[in-house]
Amino acid sequence: MNAAAGLDLLSIPDRIQSEVQRAIQRSIKGVEYIASSGPSLGSTPKDILSVRGTMNLYHYRPVADEIYRVPILIVMATTNRGYILDMVPGQSFIEFLLKRGYDVYMLDWSAPKPEEKSLRMEDYVLDFIPDCIRQAQRDSGETDVTVIGYCFGGVLSLLYGSIFNDGPMKNLICFTTPVDFREMKLFQNFADRRYFDVDRLVDSVGNVPPEMILSSFEMLRPASRAASQVQLWENIWNDEYVKSYRMFDRWATDTLPLAGEYFRTITKDLMWDNKLYNDAMSVGGRKADISRITVPILHAVAEHDHIVPYDAAKPLIQKIGSTDKEEVMLKGGHVSLVAGANAIKRLWPKLDSWLGERST
Amino acid sequence: MADKSSNDPVAIWQHMIGEMEKGFNSFANQAMASPEFSKVVNQVGGVSAGAQKQLGDLMEKYLVGMNLPSRAQMVGMAERLQSIEGQLNEIKAMLHQMQSNSGAQGGNPAASRPPRTRRPPAAGGEPK
Repeated sequence: MNAAAGLDLLSIPDRIQSEVQRAIQRSIKGVEYIASSGPSLGSTPKDILSVRGTMNLYHYRPVADEIYRVPILIVMATTNRGYILDMVPGQSFIEFLLKRGYDVYMLDWSAPKPEEKSLRMEDYVLDFIPDCIRQAQRDSGETDVTVIGYCFGGVLSLLYGSIFNDGPMKNLICFTTPVDFREMKLFQNFADRRYFDVDRLVDSVGNVPPEMILSSFEMLRPASRAASQVQLWENIWNDEYVKSYRMFDRWATDTLPLAGEYFRTITKDLMWDNKLYNDAMSVGGRKADISRITVPILHAVAEHDHIVPYDAAKPLIQKIGSTDKEEVMLKGGHVSLVAGANAIKRLWPKLDSWLGERST
Repeated sequence: MADKSSNDPVAIWQHMIGEMEKGFNSFANQAMASPEFSKVVNQVGGVSAGAQKQLGDLMEKYLVGMNLPSRAQMVGMAERLQSIEGQLNEIKAMLHQMQSNSGAQGGNPAASRPPRTRRPPAAGGEPK
């Protein structure tokens, strides 16, 4: 070894050989990448219980011999597809829950059609979620239901729970759910009321296009897409890396449009007036104060969440009325908190240990 | 002994890319936090949304003149297809329901499912 330079001269030929092999592999795999489609996602066996416009309710077929009494309803964020929670076997949160003996339903969204531009917050909170809860109750034969909300699905679940605070929600789990929208600083700046004319936008385009939603997410980390493509090229010889890249990239770019009226309410009530944090939120004339929620709640937040910063999510546990409440901060980002290797190691076991004893 | 990775050109390259990404993101985030940025982006965005709508209306007239289907018509077709898919899903759900009911008493789908008697694992890892 050349001690002065700290360079292991003997390893150089091996290193060159390894790099040449990887370069060859990159060329071969690069062609394969372009020619092939990605892995099939969201393939855990399920039954579609209901499809009504943008609303889809699935029931996943149980795999355990014995299941917990209380079924789970997952409320997905309205901007993204639910298959982030059901990637591929071995990396599927849904599959994990089924194997651990939970009975799982999911409220997933499809792109609202042009005529659904008039869907309002009321439709989501007072109609879609209660309808799915009723169907889960009927299908499972149980009265109690645990609700899990991811990101804005968590906001919808909080609004639902604060209005229907006398049941049937038995437990509430929120993943990276914002409450103090002032703390979503970049989104606040994008939607600055002095310059952003939400009425003109909604009145001219109807539903907010997915490209606009996607660019607002990507603008939060503008260099990351280019950097991830460089990393993909470096690792294209590695099948596992490529599989994971394709899954997450496909999901991240598969953004949904948002119904115009619903977007108008989000902008005015939440982004501008911060009504959820200020205890001034109402939906369809019904007060939605989260201090009225008293069921056990677990809020999982991510240490490096660039979409919902911790300061935006922190007040949830402070403001909620429950006595059985816990916030858990885990390593990872907004997506890696719930899916991928990080989630398998951290969030999923934590959720199972918290929820199991509250599901009997 | 020096850290091996400190002299590995590949590791240095990867580190450099990571640092560049962080640096650029941080710089861009600072720039995007300014009110000037919001003003410019929303002016451009507003103009482009309006222009897009006008262009869309113009294209619609052009396509009608050329006897070609417009985007609205294609969206209409897609909606009809979605509606057919939705009806197929409903039929599928009904068939599944009927299949479940045929194996269960009283038409309750829950009856054909595993028993809801599971208990959380004890400290040892086995269900209680």
